[in-house]
Formats: sequence, C-alpha cells, structure tokens
Amino acid sequence: MRGENLKNKFVPKAEAVGCSVRPLRFDDRLCIGCGRCTAVCQSDVMMPSGERGKHPAVLYPGECWYCGRCVMECPTGAISLHHPIYNETDFERSV
Amino acid sequence: MYKWQYENKIGEISHVTCDVLVLGGGMAGAHAAVGAAEAGADVILVDKANIAGSGAAGSGVDHWEMACTNPCCRVSPGVMARALIHEQDGYSNAIAHYIECREGWDRLLDLEAAGAKIRDTNDEFVGAPFRDDETKLMFAYDYDNRYTIRVWGSGFKPALRRRALSLGAALFEYTEAVSLIMSDDGERVAGAVLMNIHTGELHAVYAGAVVLAMSRPSRIWLFDPDVPGLSEFRPLQCVGTGHAMGWRAGVEFTMMEKSVRAEYSAAGRSFPTYSAGNNHNTWYAATIVDSEGRELPYLDRDGNEIKSVDGRYRPAAGQDFFLKGGIIDEAKYEYRGPETLSFDLAEKMGYKPPFYADLSRMPEYERSVIFGMMVGEEGKTKIPVYDALTRRGFDPSRDRLRVYGTGWKSAAFSDNERQLFGAPGGVLNDWELMTNIGGLFAAGDQLYSSDCAGFAAATGHYAGRHAAKYARENERAASNESESFIRSEAERIYAPLYSDGGMDWRELNRAVSKMMQRTCGAVKSDRLLYEGLAAVDEYRRRMYPRISCRNPHELMRAHEVSDILDVCELILYSCLARRADSAPLSFERSDADPARTEAENLFIVTKRGEGGKPITRTLEHGYWGELEQEYEKHSEEAAK
Repeated sequence: MRGENLKNKFVPKAEAVGCSVRPLRFDDRLCIGCGRCTAVCQSDVMMPSGERGKHPAVLYPGECWYCGRCVMECPTGAISLHHPIYNETDFERSV
Repeated sequence: MYKWQYENKIGEISHVTCDVLVLGGGMAGAHAAVGAAEAGADVILVDKANIAGSGAAGSGVDHWEMACTNPCCRVSPGVMARALIHEQDGYSNAIAHYIECREGWDRLLDLEAAGAKIRDTNDEFVGAPFRDDETKLMFAYDYDNRYTIRVWGSGFKPALRRRALSLGAALFEYTEAVSLIMSDDGERVAGAVLMNIHTGELHAVYAGAVVLAMSRPSRIWLFDPDVPGLSEFRPLQCVGTGHAMGWRAGVEFTMMEKSVRAEYSAAGRSFPTYSAGNNHNTWYAATIVDSEGRELPYLDRDGNEIKSVDGRYRPAAGQDFFLKGGIIDEAKYEYRGPETLSFDLAEKMGYKPPFYADLSRMPEYERSVIFGMMVGEEGKTKIPVYDALTRRGFDPSRDRLRVYGTGWKSAAFSDNERQLFGAPGGVLNDWELMTNIGGLFAAGDQLYSSDCAGFAAATGHYAGRHAAKYARENERAASNESESFIRSEAERIYAPLYSDGGMDWRELNRAVSKMMQRTCGAVKSDRLLYEGLAAVDEYRRRMYPRISCRNPHELMRAHEVSDILDVCELILYSCLARRADSAPLSFERSDADPARTEAENLFIVTKRGEGGKPITRTLEHGYWGELEQEYEKHSEEAAK
C-alpha cells in the first residue's frame, strides 16, 4: 500500500517553532535529563534532546497549556513555568 | 534543527483486537476503561498524551459536584437531578446527570481505594464548618446540604492510570484516535483507526464496543496562532475529535446549535483560570472589597444582606438547598444561593472600583481552604497559580487579589466570539449511554449537557460497564470493507507529510475561527450559515491540502484542524435546523420564525446522512422517563 512505499521516503524533521513567549525554563545545574516532563506533557511540546543528562528540547512553546504537570513531575525542581507578563495578575497589600 | 528522537514507523499499520476500546483517557475515558476492565473486558485505552496527566483534570480537580450518595448529603440523587433539569429548562442530559448524582460518590471511593485523597486525613481543618469530623469529608458551597465534596484531585489521574494498568488495560498513549471503523451496514461500530503521534504508526483496532470519551470542541471561534495553548479552559489538543469522527460516522448529536458568548480562554485574552480575584467556583465565597477596602455585601436570594461569612454557605430561610457549580450560572429563584451585590450595582451605589478578592478578612480555615487547598488541587492551579503567586510574594493573610471581570470571568469578549460552554451540545445517549450506533457509547464531555469531573467519572465508569456488557452479549460487527477504509484513511492521515503547499496548520485554524465569528456569531441567519458551510467546503477542498507537516506531532495538529472543520459543519447544520429563537440555548436568529418558538421547545437531533446531507429529528424533553425506575431497570443488578 501507499503508506508502506512512502515509509522510506519520509524522514520526520524536528525544528523548534518560535513564538512570543517562553513558558518553560530549565536549570541545567539541577536537570538530570530523566525525561519525565516530556513524558507527562499533554500538549507534547517537548522532545528528548538526544543527549544523555540534558534537558529536553522545547519544540512547540506556543502550544503549552500552562497546566504545570511537568513541574509537578520533575524530581529535582529543574523546571519552572512562566506566564507571559500580560497574564500575571496584580495583588496589593490589603487596606 | 534537531533530529527527530522517536522511531520512524510512518506507513506501518498494526492490527489489534479487544472487547472494549476507549477513545480518550481523561477523567471520563480512564474511568470507562476501569469500569469495563472491572466487568471483565479486555480493554484498550487511547490518549494523545500520558494518562497520568491528560485531559481537563490532568493536573487536578478541587471539588466533586453532585455526589448525592455521600453519607453526609441531604439531597437525594433524584431531587438533585430534577433540579438540574428544571434549572436548564429541560435542555438537560437527565440520564447522565442522574448517573452523576447516583454514582459520583462511588467513584470517589474507588479513587480513594486506588490511593487518592478525598478526605482531610491529616486533620488540617478539624472543626471547620465545612468538615464532617466523623468522615473527615469536606464540603463546598452549601454546607447544610453537603452535595459537593472538596477533594485533593491532583493525584486522581495518576491513581486512575495505575488502577487501569493493574486491571490489565492496554494503554495506547501518545496516540490519537482518527476515525471509527463501521460495520458494513453502517449501523454498528467495529473499531477505530489510531495514529501514534511520535512514531506515526497506525493501529487498526477491532473492538466489540467503543466508548467515545473525548472533549467538547474548542478552537472553533477563538484561536491565537502565536500562543494557541495559553489560557484555554480545556487542553489545546481537545478540539472535539470525538464529535468529528462521530459526525462522519452518522452519530446523532443534540444541542450543537447552542453556543455562548465566550467566558474564558482565547489565548491570553483572559487571565489564567483562578489566578484573578473572584468569588465563584473554586473561589466561592471569597470576600470582595472595593479599592478603599469596603466589603461588598453578600445577599440572599431575596436581597437580604448576609452578615456572617458562614451565612454565605447556607440556604436562605425556607429554601431546601441552593445550587452552585460548573453549569450553574444565574440560578432560578428556587435554587439561587448567596451572591455579592453585582459589581455594576455596587459601582452605582458608590463602591469604588477596582474590586479585589480579600481572603485576609475571612476566617483562617476559609482562607487556607480556598488558597492552598482548592487553589492548588484544582486543575491548572498548583504550579501556574498557587506556586506562581506565592513566588511573587502573594500572602493571602495580608494581600488582596485584583478582580478583572464579573463572576469568574477575567476578560470581556464580543458577542460573536462564541464558545461551547455551560452544558453545551454533544452526543445523544440512551439509558446505557449508548449512541444511535450499535456498540458505540459515550461519556463525559462527549455527551451533550456535560459539566464537571464528577460527571465525567460517573458517566465514564457507567459507559465502560455497559460497553463491556454489550461486547459480551453481541458478536463483533462484521466489517468487510474495513481494509479498503483503512487504506483510504492512511492516505488521508499521511497526506500533509507529502504536501508541498507549505501552509502551517495554525493559519487555517485562525481562518476557521474568523469565519465562524462572521457566519455563526451571536445572531444567526440562513444566509450566513450557508456562507459558513460553503467556507468549510472550500477550506476542506482547497486549503487543508496545502498544510505541510514535518513530523507526526505536527500531523496530529493538522488532523485537529480537519476535525475542527467537521465540527463546524455539525454546528452550522445544527443551527440551520433550529428555526426559532431559544433563550435557554442562547440561540438567536435575525430571520427567526416566532410562530415556532413554542413548538420548537424540544431537542433537535442531527446526524450526517448519505452524501453528507444532515438528517434531523426532534425529541421531547423528558424522553428519559422516570429517573429512578429507568436507572434501576438499566443497572447491571437489574440485568442479572
């Protein structure tokens, strides 16, 4: 069938798709490259880096749903989640 | 440029069989898999992501509504379900709501047995008025009637995944459901075609029964190509794929003409859910103050000021119970609970905006149950709200949080920016939660008039059990045409890999949302709706083939846009079928036939017929019959 013939013709490519925000940041000193964040992300925004011990590649940052499950799964506290500044709510000392 | 890190299985097709195939592994689907497996079925559970964190409740849930069989509840399932029907003017999924009221508590007990936390076992809130010190259960909203339970739901999905695995369910994760395989006569379901979003491998699954447990549609009227995932209430990948594949297969839908002015989401237009000051849902019943620190009074349903914080959680004199929760917006008088003075009226009376939620003025147990437990356990709050605000220095015992809109809204949308929200349309079901297609069941957000996590869990488990029973009692549907169908699906699935059109999927999704705002906005007319249908056809034939994808992940996004086009068609045809205005459905026409307003006070049911033309019929409110009797008749105990 056609799909089988095409298998050898198509090689998937990965390229980070840029956008105006950077939701996920990694602390290289803490990251052990375990891949749990990548595995649990329901938007599939990350891909393993391919290098042992290194944090994943964030290919699709614009697709982040900001649920924070990756941070919850991280065993070393290496990931932080950042809302864009226009989505930060204000608070002040109570009167 | 990176190297694609997953195995390349593009073009490979595996053939698998099972008793029950569950499509969608959120709160509903995971429960369907558990329910079917407990009933002895051989189960496959499919999700685009890891089931430990997927779905709207993937990162948590903080309260479990309508758990009427819990030992402290003072409202019976039947009374509650009938209240919901009345509250929704008859446009209610009474069957599913009754199942929610009847079995939601059972699902919490199951979750607890699987290791999740549903009680204050650490005794953090001993003596609080919302806590029953004997059972250690904690309640939200109506503290007298105790039908909604506060829960530690950030552990629910991981517990469900473990439970499904321990029962022997096969998990097909990182796998999208693409289409249903039908029997030769089209009257029964035979399985489904799936694609792994990392490897590109296809799976043809042949099943005795299938449960549709995917989301309600989104990304229809609202879409931001830069940050499509930001602030969405439902996860980005939840576009209504179950609706789309059901529509293509001839499944009956109802209430799909209902949409409301957007309340949430839309890629950064609103603030992250529960991160802005408000006093609804998770934040009920926070103290609201004006800029000078004056408290906005809470009023009972008769407009009497409620003096104490505790009084915000009690029914009015002479009222049996009040209703609050996911699908309750402005409750009818019978069920109306305490609310603050409306912000508009407060302003007219001299209160000075902006307003703030000020937990510092509440008793410590109310403050820490709202910010720390509820904001923390509700989906998308532990990290993005609780941690984020705490890191920025927010201290709920000293600080007040800015309110940006009325109710729980934090942005104002135009009337043409619609959303499927507040008990929207979906799949029509019978008392087995089966659709009009033999062996095809539905649960959770896939059903019409769905609401929250408790609804998803209860209907999921119930649908799973009934699917197992169907698979046990019926021979698998014959599908001699399936080979050629799967071949043509493979072509369709892989096409964007080989397209040299160069279009990004986001461009077409954005075009769809603009088109739907224009042709299917607040006020409908035949002329605009037909224009919308023509645009869908044009986008399908001329634009979709121009999308190019580099890998299976992007292919999934392209398929989502294709599904969104199918959902648009379903919505447009459903709107065309309703000829008169309907306030309960937020449905308005410029060319309405007022003579039909009364006659059309019923469900309009739509499915796709031969050649793509819609077939509609009507269904009276109350088609579900007498709730308790019908439930008993269809429960498995009765079947034995």
